[in-house]
Amino acid sequence: MEEYVGELWDRLITGAAEKRHAAVGVQLDEIAKPAAIFFRALGGDPGLGISAAPAVRHGARRRLLQRVAGSGEKVELSWRDGHVLRLPSQIDLFAEKALNRDLYFWLVALAAVETEHTLPWIVRNQQATLITLQRFPGLLSRYDRLVAATLAIRIPPEKLPADESAQENAIRRALQEPGTVNQILLAKRPFQPVPLWPHPQPPVSASTEDANGSGSSEHGGSAPVKKSRRKHLAERTDATEDKNGFLMMFRAESLFSWSEFVKVNRPQDDEDDAETAQQVAEDMDSLSIARDGKTSAASVRFDLDLPAGAEDDTPLGEGVLLPEWNWKKQVMQPDYCSLQQLIAADATPCELPHALKNTANRLRRQFQALTPTRHWLKGQQDGEELDMDAWVQLVSEKNSSMPTSEHGLYRAQVNQERDLACLLLADLSLSTDAYVSNHSRVIDVIRDSLLLFSEALTATGDSFALYGFSSLKRSQVRFHYIKGFEEKYSGQVRGRITAIKPGYYTRMGAAIRQASSLLAQQKKRQRLLLILTDGKPNDLDQYEGRYGIEDTRVALIEARKLGLRPFCVTIDSEASDYLPHLFGAGGYVVIRNPEELPKELPMLYAQMTR
Amino acid sequence: MDTQASNTPVNQSLIHDPPFYQPSGDECELFERAWKNHLPLLIKGPTGCGKTRFVSHMAARLHLPLYTVACHDDLTAADLVGRHLIGDGETVWNDGPLTRAVREGGICYLDEVVEARKDTTVVLHPLADDRRMLPIDRTGELLPSFMLVVSYNPGYQNFLKGMKPSTRQRFVSLTFDFPTAAQEEAVLVGETGIDAMTAKRLVSIAGAFRSLRDHDLEEVASTRLLVYAATLIKDGYDPVRACRAALVETLTDDPETAIALSEVVNATFGR
Repeated sequence: MEEYVGELWDRLITGAAEKRHAAVGVQLDEIAKPAAIFFRALGGDPGLGISAAPAVRHGARRRLLQRVAGSGEKVELSWRDGHVLRLPSQIDLFAEKALNRDLYFWLVALAAVETEHTLPWIVRNQQATLITLQRFPGLLSRYDRLVAATLAIRIPPEKLPADESAQENAIRRALQEPGTVNQILLAKRPFQPVPLWPHPQPPVSASTEDANGSGSSEHGGSAPVKKSRRKHLAERTDATEDKNGFLMMFRAESLFSWSEFVKVNRPQDDEDDAETAQQVAEDMDSLSIARDGKTSAASVRFDLDLPAGAEDDTPLGEGVLLPEWNWKKQVMQPDYCSLQQLIAADATPCELPHALKNTANRLRRQFQALTPTRHWLKGQQDGEELDMDAWVQLVSEKNSSMPTSEHGLYRAQVNQERDLACLLLADLSLSTDAYVSNHSRVIDVIRDSLLLFSEALTATGDSFALYGFSSLKRSQVRFHYIKGFEEKYSGQVRGRITAIKPGYYTRMGAAIRQASSLLAQQKKRQRLLLILTDGKPNDLDQYEGRYGIEDTRVALIEARKLGLRPFCVTIDSEASDYLPHLFGAGGYVVIRNPEELPKELPMLYAQMTR
Repeated sequence: MDTQASNTPVNQSLIHDPPFYQPSGDECELFERAWKNHLPLLIKGPTGCGKTRFVSHMAARLHLPLYTVACHDDLTAADLVGRHLIGDGETVWNDGPLTRAVREGGICYLDEVVEARKDTTVVLHPLADDRRMLPIDRTGELLPSFMLVVSYNPGYQNFLKGMKPSTRQRFVSLTFDFPTAAQEEAVLVGETGIDAMTAKRLVSIAGAFRSLRDHDLEEVASTRLLVYAATLIKDGYDPVRACRAALVETLTDDPETAIALSEVVNATFGR
């Protein structure tokens, strides 16, 4: 009973205190894509992604009811850093849905403006507001509506102590007449958060460089049940070395709360209850993440050490040194990566798997239509021979005194040649070990795709090569030889395709550079670089996030300069966040259902080269 | 300069009224020099940036007849050069646009030349190098040259269609891009008579859309589309709806991209 009453009271008081309007709230997910495009259209950095901002404690005065209910302590504000534009995960401040939505676009518009970092926060906001309104005068009425609605929900200055009242007045004036407030006298208590402006002190991750040199680990476990767009404020903390995690000094006076990082080393003691963990994580102010390169799942399931020489694939020739682009420094680092070409040691020639035979037969028939042949075109205006059908028709039309239309009376022989080379580069990183359905992994899908692709291309006679890649830091970029341009598609090649297995990480830039140089040697007029992947570029060292994406982008730009046409086929459903930046709007395709990839891939190729 | 030219009554009474063209550099001078020296000209640039308008403007200015051929997949050499047509009991030779342009000493303009079949463009080779002759096998004629102008859109090709390097190498090339903001405003005002403020806003929308090139949009807002939007607005249509019809819906099929683009329009003209 007590519990029931307590629950009722909680619901009542929180409902009364929350000046929020959940029913008309707008979720970030609903507008994330348009917001990102809007951001870029207004001149924002195209490399930035959009993610949800964590709620932060603002410490400002709250309304009495809110204090009683213990709500309204935290607020989600927007800000921008080098990697992402953070926006509130939902906005439900106002009673009108349109206003909530407008606020999103307003925040995005503000974020697209560059202002002087040295200026005080309040001046910068007004400056950004002025610049935005000047460039997009249509936003003016929207801004006015937003300001009016915002002021209405703020605690009025009359109800505040003198110092806070002055502070509040300054903010109100800055909102109403941007450009008029030069400074703000800070009161003892922080001011009430201003949802129209970005975060005053964007919480930056404590350290961006980590001493361990380890990166996020790529784990191929089952796909997370629910993805939350919200990223947590992360502070990096060193993991304790091999101490027994369970031997902990007990100090009665300091109870650990959830949000404190407890230096406990418990690699196997992982809670599998994803939902609880997620809930707890969302309640925390900041997540402390120690980066020792492996999540417990990864460490259990995969051994990330390189195999011993005897077990490994056979290296082909000397390693190749390749440059890499560092976007932070904006320099090309020469001879930065070492790439080793490998050939599967345990590949035995084999036939096409029985399950694929029917599809392969069908594809071969379809692709034979693409083979270069000399054939006759009828009804031509010009040609080597008379088109008797057309001639007969013309004569009969004339005889029946029908109005004669213009006819082509010749037959012409044409030679449709396909002067084309294609290199397919498949991502063989560890993430391809993940299951896409009950019975197949990504790597199985890639294997079938490679087989069917080869069958189809053999039917057209187009020259093609197959390579795979994975990497383990910059010293070990593994470039798997599957089929060269000169080699014929044979049982041996099928054996190598069947032998592909998930490797390490995805240093895409180096692999693309190597593939480009191989493809560029082909003396064909059209050269297609087809990249088959399942995720972002990523490696153990700094090669992650924007670093990896920018390096890949530079590698692709180089490929285009060599006269190659890069095209990406991916099964990553979030690929539209970053692939447009790499390949351009028409330069990639996302296969929604990975199991369809083997059938889709040859079809895509046919479409592109028809 | 062009507006002045078309305002003088003397010029108007001559062959054509030169259509409005706002030069963005010295392309007019280059065209005149190319014509004087019988050099073939290759114009490349994105769709709707004024390639065709430029050629017709220059033809009118130089008082030359202009033969425009929009190239397509099925365009044969005979379509350009000419062919024997079967008449009543006899065959009649019929000049193609290329031959006609040569005979009249005019300009032959091949629009989107990469769309034409490869074997077709080879017919241009003797015209476009120092021989500058058009041999017509069927009639055994050899005609002196004239001016050949071809255009294409580099960003807008099929994977298998490109321009043969051997064809390319025979032209003086001129790259067109969208004009600067000020020039584009002048184009809108000159072309549609819209007020300067609206022109400025339209150009600002176009600028925003163009920063999405190669990222979210395959093709960006061309000057031609802006002219369409301006025409609708000039006609009294609501600016936001005009932009949505002429720009947003034309540029994208993706609903989410359309929302974002509409937001840009709202942010410029909005209420």
